[in-house]
Amino acid sequence: MQRSKLGQIGIYTAVIVTVVLLLFPIYWMTITALSPANQLRSFPPVFFPEEPQWGVFSELLATQPFALWLKNTILIAVATMILALSVSILAAYALSRYRLRGGATIGMFILTSKMLPATLLVIPFFAIFKQMGLVGSLWSVVITQSTLIVPFCTWMLKGYFDTIPEELEHAALVDGCSPFATIFRIVLPVAAPGLAATALYAFVISWSDFLFARTFLQTSESQWTLNMGIAALKGEYITDWNVIMAASLMASIPILLVFLVLERFLVGGLASGAEK
Amino acid sequence: MTHLTETTILTKPKGPRMIDFSAPRHRKKFGYLLLAPAVILMALIIVYPILLSVDISFQDVRIARVGASDKPWTLDNYRWLFASHEFWRACWVTAKMVVFVGGTALVIGLATALLVNQKFKGRALARLFVALPWAVPEVVATVIWAWMLDSSFGVVNWALLRLGIISEAIQFSQNSTAAFFAVCVVMIWKGYPLMTIMLLAGLQSIPEEQYQAAKVDGASVWQRFWYVTVPNLAPVMGVTLIMTTLWVFRDFAIIHVLTGGGPLGATTTLSIMTFEQSFSYFRMGQGAAVGVVTMLICAFISRALVSRFASKSH
Amino acid sequence: MTHLSKITVMGAFAISTALTALPAVSETLVFVSWMKDEPGYGDWWNEIIAEYEATHDGVDIEMTRVARDDYANAMFTMFAGGSPPDIVHLAAFEYQPFADEGWLEPLDAWIENSELDLTGWAGQGTCEWDGSTYCIMLLYTGYIMSFNEQMLADAGIDAAPATWDEFLTAARAITKDTDGDGLIDQYGIGLPTKGAGSVMHSMLNFVLDAGGAWTVDGEPTFNSPETIEGISRFKTIFVEKLSPPELGSGDVRQLFIEGRVGMTVDGPWVYNIVKGASDDIRPDLKLAKTPFSPPVGGTSNVLGMPSDLSDDKKQLVWEFIELATSEQFQQRFATLGSSPAPRPGLDYSEEIAKDPYFALFDAANTDAAAAGIDRLPKGLEIEFAEVSKIVLEETQRMLIEDLEPAEAGQRMQDRVLALK
Repeated sequence: MQRSKLGQIGIYTAVIVTVVLLLFPIYWMTITALSPANQLRSFPPVFFPEEPQWGVFSELLATQPFALWLKNTILIAVATMILALSVSILAAYALSRYRLRGGATIGMFILTSKMLPATLLVIPFFAIFKQMGLVGSLWSVVITQSTLIVPFCTWMLKGYFDTIPEELEHAALVDGCSPFATIFRIVLPVAAPGLAATALYAFVISWSDFLFARTFLQTSESQWTLNMGIAALKGEYITDWNVIMAASLMASIPILLVFLVLERFLVGGLASGAEK
Repeated sequence: MTHLTETTILTKPKGPRMIDFSAPRHRKKFGYLLLAPAVILMALIIVYPILLSVDISFQDVRIARVGASDKPWTLDNYRWLFASHEFWRACWVTAKMVVFVGGTALVIGLATALLVNQKFKGRALARLFVALPWAVPEVVATVIWAWMLDSSFGVVNWALLRLGIISEAIQFSQNSTAAFFAVCVVMIWKGYPLMTIMLLAGLQSIPEEQYQAAKVDGASVWQRFWYVTVPNLAPVMGVTLIMTTLWVFRDFAIIHVLTGGGPLGATTTLSIMTFEQSFSYFRMGQGAAVGVVTMLICAFISRALVSRFASKSH
Repeated sequence: MTHLSKITVMGAFAISTALTALPAVSETLVFVSWMKDEPGYGDWWNEIIAEYEATHDGVDIEMTRVARDDYANAMFTMFAGGSPPDIVHLAAFEYQPFADEGWLEPLDAWIENSELDLTGWAGQGTCEWDGSTYCIMLLYTGYIMSFNEQMLADAGIDAAPATWDEFLTAARAITKDTDGDGLIDQYGIGLPTKGAGSVMHSMLNFVLDAGGAWTVDGEPTFNSPETIEGISRFKTIFVEKLSPPELGSGDVRQLFIEGRVGMTVDGPWVYNIVKGASDDIRPDLKLAKTPFSPPVGGTSNVLGMPSDLSDDKKQLVWEFIELATSEQFQQRFATLGSSPAPRPGLDYSEEIAKDPYFALFDAANTDAAAAGIDRLPKGLEIEFAEVSKIVLEETQRMLIEDLEPAEAGQRMQDRVLALK
């Protein structure tokens, strides 16, 4: 098995080189955050600060309402995830199980939402939510984000549902189970990995939102999200890269943790859907 | 996507108000009921803004205020658009960017997916790391790269100088090519992980027997890749390519923060042009015209790609 | 289907109503500003708000920060979407499109009723648009030079440059590679060029000093020999790499207090930043008159109100504006912002006694105002964003293709004329 040993070494080298190259920006964010401000603009750059400046984090927490931003971001991400998932589960199930008239049109229509230049829609969005009285409310971001996420989630879940045999449901229906109950009791438990993957997708996308939060929540500082906080730190009078990077790092850690836990479902959940 | 392409004729159901959805004749009604929330959400958040934008694009207005009385419809904005050198340049820039970002992200995505699909210890960890940039919020990714690509003190310029690839620091504001590639690199970094994840999922659903059969027939590693892996992955590649293409078309934050569309329009895509006309120059009629045309181009591309890949997978 | 969707729509409305039906206990005035929490001016706003809330029972002022980079967009979205802030704070060069759309309340009647005397109010002329007054000028500044005395001395320059030639000589002497790795790491000048507006703004220093201007009597003069001389000086600085490229104004200030650039030209607010430098550098950082004459100066920011407020709210907002323009708070403005206030006839002896630089700021203001300088070119207010984009692009073209400044000036002139 000489060849496979060589092969193993080759694979490890390739993996390490790839990972180092691809993750360098994340490393650089961390290093910049921990470097003293006056060492940042030096050549050669400092690749490992001798005295990491941990104080930058506590200073940030003391001067900025970081906990509030975090709370708002979590609320938006969780609510978006729940709303987007509920809507997509129903839509995906309908598209998977019923041959609906206009199904093709609806499918195309759903895809359309991916094509909108968001900058074009900002003002109409603002007007809609103003009429609903939701400007300055986290709901405005939740509703917009969910709508834009639903198409992909529906597509993912439909692929997953397609792989689940229909016989189980027929049996349940014959036993007197209502169609709704069938979805919840029979289909969803089987589809759990697909649901986890979709949930992670929705969560990551809504955590990343900036444009809509900026549009709807700008004028209510108590509703700001982490991304808005970071953007505001790049203030008009001065640019402190280490502070900006520290904030960026703190904003990324929660989502990276979620990703760490749920990543295995993402590939697994998609694997079945991808066949279709 | 079988059901999407098939249509059946629905007979008009008559019945009492309380409908028994488990009855066979009401099955379709139940299907529509399930679809209703998605359709309502879409109608509210997608259709109305599109109609409004189309309406604005036909008006000769600098600033359109929602709810204000409309001006008469005119084709002025579209006439301006098609006669404008800027618009055609933006189309060209967008096309270059879509092809370059989409192509490179696909190559990196496929390479990383194949790599972490090998059997080795620590594979789960490697998969995690390779896909990690996807979870980094776009604002964060953009500020990191803005700092790394800083013309005077950025680590990228330093590394390129040290490696002897360049002899003088690149000034991104004075070098159209460098600015274009800087934007592309950031987009690729943010865009390839989704490719990796999707393609990895695709790889795992390829039945092992197909490889075994190819092996028995004496196919080499390359032959197996071309005749087993690639055809099996084609539908997934198609979907991810569409997603990446549309994302590049739509993206605003990365370009806006890194180059602002410059120098000399080298990174001004249709999305940036929409923003610039509406928000910087206060020419909303023209901005809406750019946006509407962008939307039509995107619809056309995805339509073409969808039918192409849909037919391939059946 | 129809009654199903009706129910859903009603449900959606019920939910949205429930979400927003919070009891209204008091009146809140929304005040959006990029200055919140900025050193100096931010404190001044806080004092006004505290005083206003103390004298207006049941009225709260909700001050929200919006980053300067996004400011015009955010305001634009709010106005266009029909929900402007109650107290409108804008940069002096961006209020005109808002006034032109009829979104701002003409203030003439309010000014007359409250007998506010604006004679001699610095920069107030800029607030007039189409024959009406749409805002009150909050700040008019003349630019000053900040320099690192130690860096100049190390380069053999013992006095702050007082002319363009001395400025250029000093910049050439300071710019060098201090650690011998082949890369320049100490620059003579920090000149902001990131973003369309800042190229035009930085260039104006040299254009004015050479006797040029962007417009004369409202007509573009980008191709006059004096303006071209100014463009040529700007080109010299970047061709000789005397300033790091692509800096935002925040980067310039940061580099200056880190001791990496020798000289900058900036408004008096730079003084508050200098105070925040680390102990080993702060003593070297000095301020002086700019080497350019007349100095760049200009109207900075304005206060106004939207036209579609209820009369009651307008009254409340006007009272806020009155407070900000009162003699008491104009004096506080000078003290906290360490820059002269627009209100005429204030006594600055206390500020000058406390800080000798104050006399410098006052003199710079007077010089700029006397020369009638404004960074916003008269006659191009509405198209300002497009004009600065043109100047940016033609400057980039000049640097990339190494064109003659005269050609760049001519191209700017042609493109600006085509706009009008």
